[in-house]
Amino acid sequence: MNQTDFAGALELALAREEAAVAFYEELLGMASFAAQKATLKEFRLMEEGHVAMVQSMQTKGRVNLSPDAAVDLGLARRLAAEEKPAAGMSYQQILSAAIKKEERSGDLYRDLAAAAVDGEIHLVFERLAAEESRHKHYFEELYENEVSRDN
Amino acid sequence: MDIKDFIAPFAVWKRAFEKPFTVNKPIDERPGAPRYRGFHINDSARCVGCGTCEAICMNKAIDLVPVDALKPDGGDSGLRPRVDYGRCCWCALCVDICPSGSLGMSNEYLWVDRDPEVFRYTPGVEAKPWDGAELGYRRADGYRLLEEERVDMPELDHHEAVKSFLELVRGYSRQQAEKEADRCVSCGVCVASCPAHMDIPGYIRAVREGDLEQGLRLLYETNPFPEACGRICTHLCEAACSIGSGRSADGTPTDPVAIRWLKRYIADQVELADYGKALPRAEAPTGRKVAIIGAGPGGLAAAYYLALLGHGVTVFEKDEAAGGMLRYGIPEYRLPYPALDKDIAWITSLGVRIRYGVAMGKDLTLVSLYGDYDAVFLSTGLTVAYKLDVPGDKHPRVLDGVAILAAATRGEPLGLGRKVAVVGGGNVAMDAARTALRSGAEVDIVYRRREVDMPADPEEIMEAKAEGAILIPQAIPLEVKPAEGPDAANKATFVWNLAEMVQKEPGKRPVPEPIPGAVVEKTYDSIIAAIGQGPDLSYVAEGDGIEIRRYKPVIGPDGRTSRATVFAGGDLTNDRKDAISAIADGHRAALAMDRLFAGKEA
Repeated sequence: MNQTDFAGALELALAREEAAVAFYEELLGMASFAAQKATLKEFRLMEEGHVAMVQSMQTKGRVNLSPDAAVDLGLARRLAAEEKPAAGMSYQQILSAAIKKEERSGDLYRDLAAAAVDGEIHLVFERLAAEESRHKHYFEELYENEVSRDN
Repeated sequence: MDIKDFIAPFAVWKRAFEKPFTVNKPIDERPGAPRYRGFHINDSARCVGCGTCEAICMNKAIDLVPVDALKPDGGDSGLRPRVDYGRCCWCALCVDICPSGSLGMSNEYLWVDRDPEVFRYTPGVEAKPWDGAELGYRRADGYRLLEEERVDMPELDHHEAVKSFLELVRGYSRQQAEKEADRCVSCGVCVASCPAHMDIPGYIRAVREGDLEQGLRLLYETNPFPEACGRICTHLCEAACSIGSGRSADGTPTDPVAIRWLKRYIADQVELADYGKALPRAEAPTGRKVAIIGAGPGGLAAAYYLALLGHGVTVFEKDEAAGGMLRYGIPEYRLPYPALDKDIAWITSLGVRIRYGVAMGKDLTLVSLYGDYDAVFLSTGLTVAYKLDVPGDKHPRVLDGVAILAAATRGEPLGLGRKVAVVGGGNVAMDAARTALRSGAEVDIVYRRREVDMPADPEEIMEAKAEGAILIPQAIPLEVKPAEGPDAANKATFVWNLAEMVQKEPGKRPVPEPIPGAVVEKTYDSIIAAIGQGPDLSYVAEGDGIEIRRYKPVIGPDGRTSRATVFAGGDLTNDRKDAISAIADGHRAALAMDRLFAGKEA
């Protein structure tokens, strides 16, 4: 994969979104009850939407993403959830894993943007990073409102 | 008869062509006295639409009317007084009684119009030249028709209270209760704010009139936990109470009526043995059977109302006693077990059967219930304590707040040690902190945001502090580390980062942002995590036909899930997560199940 050109950058983004789908798919395989499965299916569906979005950008040959990064609520930096949740995973563990995953994707795109020589490729990765920040923000808000209600 | 008598009617005609002596505005150069009782003014933003002015008006000159721009909201009925000057006698009793102090009178007394309809208007809503007038009649400072001072509730001194689990609040005497009940103006603004819509003015009137059986009857119409709610209810009603909407002479807010304590007074004064004289018994058996999962306030409220309607009820409870979080999450000094037991005893006296020690998913499945019962109500609450979710949070000295409270209920040794940190700002955190204080510990409450943001009841926060807990706000948990030094194996070091609050997004609450370098470490014998709880839904399988979204059963307005005969409520589904909301859920679901059985589905 050559991430120094436009097609390569989008190919990388597509691979990451497909990996995210696979991530939730794997968790779904471990899930044992309806609440876990419903949540994981919802999150997988969101990632499938992102796959479709990147494929659309590949087809159209342009990145139609907002450059505005979402506000960082700061959870990703301090949450402990590096490990992969297991069969009895709670809502907290699922959300925590989702936040961490979005954070890692955002970090990667930011690094690639910084490393990009080509201005257009730099822009592509910046916008992908902004998109990931919005995804992360979505999960952080869920965590704040539904898990960490008392803190 | 004189000749003049004949001429006079013709002579008067000459006046018709002279300048008249009357004028349109004869006295506009004479302003009213500074405290003249002229046309009404009303600060509509301060008015709560309680209708006390309407009730006191002897001439029926005031009507409470809806105002387009206002919506009923908590302590505001959305109505405003309309004054009819064809009836008003300008006595100003309405001003004197107004609980919020919004109503006054301008010193304007001149208003000329040929249309009589205009003399009936809504001050503060329909603009008038005298709006905002500084002169005119106002209630004099220190003069009140209503008693402003709430009757103090006798309580244990905090230094004394922290030495034991004795109940802190002692309860009103008859004289105190009747005096406090006298403060209520029966406006009913509180009723809408109560999730169970209790008839608050009705039961307060019963206290005033000394008819406690009637009071008990009114309580049980919508709430079969008067002993418990009379002690620990979040009392949204008091936040809405119109008596609390005013300002005292010193500018501080006036005290609302002590609605919760009056509820407790009624329940305390009637012996359980006498409940039968006041309360209805169950109707004849209908042959319908309902399974209720969880014997908390939501589940048992549903059980009570279903049993009253004649339906057979079996409650499945995983613990060894009923009450849910009322028993295992609220310490004895706030809700003594005999008081809770009294509520539960009346519910079970209606024939409600409770099977203890039955864990859903382990001892019983939902599918097995579908075959044996006509309907099922899920009310399993929030039993999973969320973790601190920072590195090191699996340290053995990091404990779970809900488990600590349950252990205290069971009388198990807590083993918290001398120095305890409680992480969180909700009621579980406050109860865990106060329980730790009672076990002899020094307690720090570490909270990520500001004190004003804490979700715990303000009085719980105040009492925790009064009992000696130290609040450390704006402290972001970073890590739990093994302790160093003597007895290190039985301690843990908690690390947090002091924070400043930053308004990152307009319209949303400020976010705690770490202050660089402001990292604090402190070693504790125990660190109690109380950041939030979630549900244990492991007993609901995909094949059970219940749609779940983000760890909550999806329900309709009557509590029905996606499966027609399964309902859910309480902390499991509602966002308020307090006892009275759970009770309201249980009542609503019971009525919906009854409609379902009668074939009257909406």
